[in-house]
Amino acid sequence: MINVLPRGAVVEKRELLLLAACVLAIALFAIASPFFATADNAVTILRNSVELLLISLGMSLLLAMGGVDVSIGTVMGLAAFVIGRLLTAAVDPSLAALAGILAGTALGMVTGAVVVFGRIPAIVATLGLLGVYKAAIYLALGGAWLSGLPPTLTEMLQVRIVGVPIAVIVIALSYGVIWLAMRRTPFGLHLLAVGNSEEKARLQGVNTKLIQFSTFVISGTLAGVAAVFYIGTYRNVEMTIGSTLALDAIAAVVLGGTSILGGKCSLLGTVLGVLLLRILQNGLLLVGVPSLWQAVVTGALLIGVLSIEGLSGRLQLKFAGATQ
Amino acid sequence: MTEPFLLAKGITKRFGALTALSNVDLEIRRGEVLALLGDNGAGKSTFIKVLAGAHAPSDGQLLVEGHPVSFNSPKDAAAAGIATIFQELALSENLSIAENVFLGREMKRSVFGVPFLKRAEMKKRVGDLLVELDAHISDPSAAVGSLSGGQRQAVAICRALNLNAKMVIMDEPTAALAVAETRKVLELTRRLATRGCAVVLISHNISDVFEVADRMVVFRRGRKVAERLRDQTTPEEIVAFITGAHADVRALEKTR
Ligand SMILES: Nc1ncnc2c1ncn2[C@@H]1O[C@H](COP(=O)(O)OP(=O)(O)OP(=O)(O)O)[C@@H](O)[C@H]1O
Ligand SMILES: [Mg+2]
Repeated sequence: MINVLPRGAVVEKRELLLLAACVLAIALFAIASPFFATADNAVTILRNSVELLLISLGMSLLLAMGGVDVSIGTVMGLAAFVIGRLLTAAVDPSLAALAGILAGTALGMVTGAVVVFGRIPAIVATLGLLGVYKAAIYLALGGAWLSGLPPTLTEMLQVRIVGVPIAVIVIALSYGVIWLAMRRTPFGLHLLAVGNSEEKARLQGVNTKLIQFSTFVISGTLAGVAAVFYIGTYRNVEMTIGSTLALDAIAAVVLGGTSILGGKCSLLGTVLGVLLLRILQNGLLLVGVPSLWQAVVTGALLIGVLSIEGLSGRLQLKFAGATQ
Repeated sequence: MTEPFLLAKGITKRFGALTALSNVDLEIRRGEVLALLGDNGAGKSTFIKVLAGAHAPSDGQLLVEGHPVSFNSPKDAAAAGIATIFQELALSENLSIAENVFLGREMKRSVFGVPFLKRAEMKKRVGDLLVELDAHISDPSAAVGSLSGGQRQAVAICRALNLNAKMVIMDEPTAALAVAETRKVLELTRRLATRGCAVVLISHNISDVFEVADRMVVFRRGRKVAERLRDQTTPEEIVAFITGAHADVRALEKTR
């Protein structure tokens, strides 16, 4: 992949554009529906963004590294199942949460091992794992929902620290740690180098397998954290849990300016991408568009952004002349 | 004369039935640019791959500063101070010049066990190197993807220097470059030698070689058929060695 643009400049422009799109969407929906621009609805949108934000942070790293994980929603599902079962068994909610996060980490290790050591392209490997994990959720649930879970975890998550909800703190911490790792440590450089070209990075002395493996582990762990908030909010595990998360996350991340071809990462863009996506989904529902259309909108956004980028990528190449 | 940095003795490389190198003896000294010449398939790239640790020789021995070595990977060669700039440059286009020069061996400081990059120091070091090489690149934080072919060669050379390489191998560094860029890269090659590096250069361009090399070695069908100091030969003679028209080569090939 050839990236001829100076880093920074375009990313900022992209983020401003996304911010403008969010504002525009809010304005339009506020006009179209009396229920949209209310404090309650704002909380709903933010609440609905928590799992997607956490998973999208992981997906940003995966795409920037040249990978992807289409099974990530089911990873969250399995972690949620672990938490649910433990809560039913009256296990302490903080222990159940920890177990869920570790389950996410373990599944991230499995995915990473299959991709890295099986030398299978990430898209194919995770598509295969998606089937396996879906079946695992199905078998674990035995055809029935896990519902009416005890509210212990929900109560635990209601804690506020100096008035700030715990979800906000966890997301801010995750964002901060990942931002530091990407911008201030060798890990970020190595990850972007692998995303640009695995072979070149290897020749430059980067431990490419370690980078790939650990990125899947980070992503799995974040899915485990997402499962904690999922159970805290919904207190049930249904058969189709997390089934739209992978597509939503990929759309939000690509919308945010992270390259689907790897080598470029924008975390702030990801956050804005998630918010825009959730605003659109919420607003469309409120103006009476059937929820079936949500996936259509997500898919259309993804394809639209990619085709515009494909076009501008070609233009960039043209203007850069014969630099390669 | 000083001890050679690298001594190759009787290097032979067979790929199955094909003998790509046969019994090559060669010395390479620090401060000297040595050019490898020869027709396509003569064995030049195979030879430098042996030096770079990418191929194990089927027979023969390498000595670095008088000590026998055996390289199992390019990492071993790098540890011995040998850096190779392959024709397909191994640079990450999406990263900056400074990041590329340091990639894989960054300067860092540990804060609570977490390695943080010393970005400013790396940038400064690369900036100094670029000035020292007179590479005409002003900003070490520019993305490598925005550089020209010759500038990318300069970055690769910087990387080799920064690894404290004692020997730098370049496989056809000017093959894809325009005239001005070629001049610049040849100049850089000279500068490496002035700094005390041993430089091995592969090129098909006789006039480039005559401009920059102190010594020339001609390969033909896997054998070393000639070795000449620049002052003691002419382009015509070298071409005759390459094509096999030279009387010495004919005599040599009869005795095969
Ligand atoms: N990995 C390999 N396996 C089998 N044969 C090889 C291999 N590498 C090189 N050869 C053969 O060895 C011989 C020497 O090749 P080499 O690449 O060293 O030539 P060269 O002098 O670098 O030529 P050129 O100027 O075209 O780059 C050729 O006949 C080539 O086909
Ligand atoms: Mg060659």
